[in-house]
Amino acid sequence: MRSIQVLRYLPEESPQPFLQSFQVPVTDSTSVLDALNYIKESLDPTLSFRWSCRMAICGSCGVMVNGIPKLGCKDFLRNYPNDLIIEPLAHLPVERDLVVNMDSFLRHLEAVKPYLIEGKNAADSSQPNRQTPAQMARYQQFANCINCGLCYAACPQFGLNPEFTGPAAIALAHRYNLDSRDSGKAQRMAPLNSKNGVWSCTFVGFCSEVCPKGVDPAAAVNQGKVESAKSMLIQLFSGRAIGGAGQ
Amino acid sequence: MSYKPQLTGSWWLKHRFFKAYMLREATVIPLAFLLCSLLAGAFSLQDPERFQHWQAFMSNPLVILVHTLALTTSLYHAATFFVLFPRVMPIRVGNYQLPARYLVLAQWGAVWLVVALFIWLFAFGGQS
Repeated sequence: MRSIQVLRYLPEESPQPFLQSFQVPVTDSTSVLDALNYIKESLDPTLSFRWSCRMAICGSCGVMVNGIPKLGCKDFLRNYPNDLIIEPLAHLPVERDLVVNMDSFLRHLEAVKPYLIEGKNAADSSQPNRQTPAQMARYQQFANCINCGLCYAACPQFGLNPEFTGPAAIALAHRYNLDSRDSGKAQRMAPLNSKNGVWSCTFVGFCSEVCPKGVDPAAAVNQGKVESAKSMLIQLFSGRAIGGAGQ
Repeated sequence: MSYKPQLTGSWWLKHRFFKAYMLREATVIPLAFLLCSLLAGAFSLQDPERFQHWQAFMSNPLVILVHTLALTTSLYHAATFFVLFPRVMPIRVGNYQLPARYLVLAQWGAVWLVVALFIWLFAFGGQS
């Protein structure tokens, strides 16, 4: 058995969040999520947190572990021989205990249209939309994002300005911009070029450190700056709208 | 009903990664001082007396200390920047992705070229 602390927030009981200690059984393979599930099943059924797959696929169980964004299922108690404090993801409004409101992240994600947009690059709809391994290699790394939001909890720029489009949304915009089957780059460049787009990033780079899938969103955001600069220059010399550049 | 913790001015003290980031950004401070010193030197060229004052200012041990600091912190900034560069501008030759370490090495190579040029200019007066 060992002691862990969880930041509780029960708005009907107290307007302030408070730390609560729990004693949980621990082995070498006990994950943070296992500990939370033990608390809910055996100690306090009122504890609220999100989880689903237990294997770093669904991206639901993001929490702050000793102040660092982690997936509960991919982080183990054995890594924390001393204190262990579990808190809700930073920079997002907390609804209850470890449950955060992801609306602002989802709004940013929606704004960059993270899906294939048909156009001149799409094949005839009666034909399969083929792609070579080399074409796929250009974006594959950025396609591994599971929308867990850890990068938003790691990003101080998002913490200071929630209107910043943020690491995951920009990484996914970049992923589709790099896709040979996509024709939507012009539509995505508008939000990326804006004040709250790629230029709000100062390359702190912590988003890429905490990403559980190795996506490297900081690289995507800063490659986006190169694209944004290109589209601005093209606009300057051709007089076309920013969104129309870079095609 | 929800609460949202606000980010305080001391957010960067919470993790060594953020401290390293702030150190990287702070390297601009001694560099700005060096640039102001050089700018003052350019303006002092108009008048011999002012130029002598500027030379005296530049040989002040405290000023030399800050300028040495500007050199070391700029090298630190360069080291962080060179590592980030291949991530921002990955270079592809056909379907071959150039490994990041080559790009980092190439940038350090460019630094040594510039250093060698200055050594040649200052130590040998530009003559072989």
